[in-house]
Amino acid sequence: MVRDFQRIISIEMKQQILEKEGRLPSAVIACVGGGSNAIGAFYEFIQDRQVRLIGVEAGGRGTELGEHAARFKGGAPGVLQGTFSYVLQDADGQIALTHSVSAGLDYASIGPEHAALHDSGRAEYVSQDDAAALGAVVKLARTEGILPALESAHAVAEALRLAPTLPAREILVVNLSGRGDKDMGILARELKL
Amino acid sequence: MPIRFDPKHGLIVYLTVGDPSLDATRAIALAAIDAGAAVIELGVPFSDPLADGPVIQRAMERAVARGVRLADVLQMAREIRAERPAAGLVIFSYLNPILRYGLKRFADDAAAAGVDGVLATDMIVEEAGEYLAELARAGLAPIFLAAPTSPDDRLEAIATHSKGFVYAISRTGITGTQQTLTSNAAALVARIRRWTGPQGQGLPVAVGFGISNAEHVAQVAEFADAAVVGSAIVELIERATSQNGAETAPAAVARFIKGLRLPQAALAR
Ligand SMILES: Cc1ncc(COP(=O)(O)O)c(C=O)c1O
Repeated sequence: MVRDFQRIISIEMKQQILEKEGRLPSAVIACVGGGSNAIGAFYEFIQDRQVRLIGVEAGGRGTELGEHAARFKGGAPGVLQGTFSYVLQDADGQIALTHSVSAGLDYASIGPEHAALHDSGRAEYVSQDDAAALGAVVKLARTEGILPALESAHAVAEALRLAPTLPAREILVVNLSGRGDKDMGILARELKL
Repeated sequence: MPIRFDPKHGLIVYLTVGDPSLDATRAIALAAIDAGAAVIELGVPFSDPLADGPVIQRAMERAVARGVRLADVLQMAREIRAERPAAGLVIFSYLNPILRYGLKRFADDAAAAGVDGVLATDMIVEEAGEYLAELARAGLAPIFLAAPTSPDDRLEAIATHSKGFVYAISRTGITGTQQTLTSNAAALVARIRRWTGPQGQGLPVAVGFGISNAEHVAQVAEFADAAVVGSAIVELIERATSQNGAETAPAAVARFIKGLRLPQAALAR
């Protein structure tokens, strides 16, 4: 149900990019907490095999359990809240605590359709840590005048990493899932503004 | 041991294993059996007990913090089985610890420990193919939860796949004590009996969630085969432990359980 509502994101993305550029993007990049904005941004492109789908999880402040929310790298298949997916958990199946500078990515499991896209290889999942996300907020604000949410900034950070490795004509679409106004308290603290 | 209930007052007691300690849970379980509990549900501590109210959540948190694991619960079942061969023993768990332990390994180890049945709160009957096959192979009884909101086709699946007993939830919501039982419970049990057979015959139906005193138990006995008492006992253990020490909890629980069997005269108002 979430996916069906959120897919309006990729319907509009596709329309607009075809209108503006006349071709599909090389990649769609979105942050992944529970997975709603990313599945919405991916969905209409799943059939377009040439479009890379890149989900960005929260790398937090370290690779140990409890320090991040990178479920694909650090988790294992399990059931949380009635859903079978990748779950951050310890050896006894107790659900792990998570950490991210962004509240919205701080979740021990991930929408199961992402687990399916991961296992089939259709989508790729990477992580960006707290510092990279904070850096991306500053960069986007200074260069474009856009203040992204800290969650979305993880996707921006991945775009900043990926872009220099690609030829200039390639198109990256980054989903800005929210605005950073709500994060001003955290930004002020973390960036010592 | 097959799960069997006293026809007049079948009683099932839920315990969160390891709260306040493994030794205390073992002593409380033995005392509860001697006081008349037909079945003990051994609750596996879990970090995210989403069907449980505050009392059992607190007990779970304490037990998880002590590092009590599914393996410890199976060991406890083995010890209780050795001491009380005729008692019914059910593992009550959220699914994730079982999956992590390994479904097949869990079924083997639970059967070897002398466990009779398994109630996995968040295992739904529609997704239970592999789970049912493993429990059947090991000779364990699967017990499913039926809610007042379950439609008839689900009740039919729940009733036909459950063994040992069907667990009817007295009301919607999470575990926890309440003042009065709603009439939902009797209506639900009547619906379930369309597939399990009449009271006293066929598969027993137990009623749980909110059963906390003798009056509730007597009410439930009129239409169901057993009452499950959980939060009321977990809370009693919590109180006895903090006020008088864990060693007083078994006697307190035994007294409480005996008190749940009001003499029939007191009920005939
Ligand atoms: C702005 C923003 N983006 C992304 C997310 C992550 O959620 P999801 O992965 O479900 O899109 C949140 C969650 O609160 C959010 O606030």
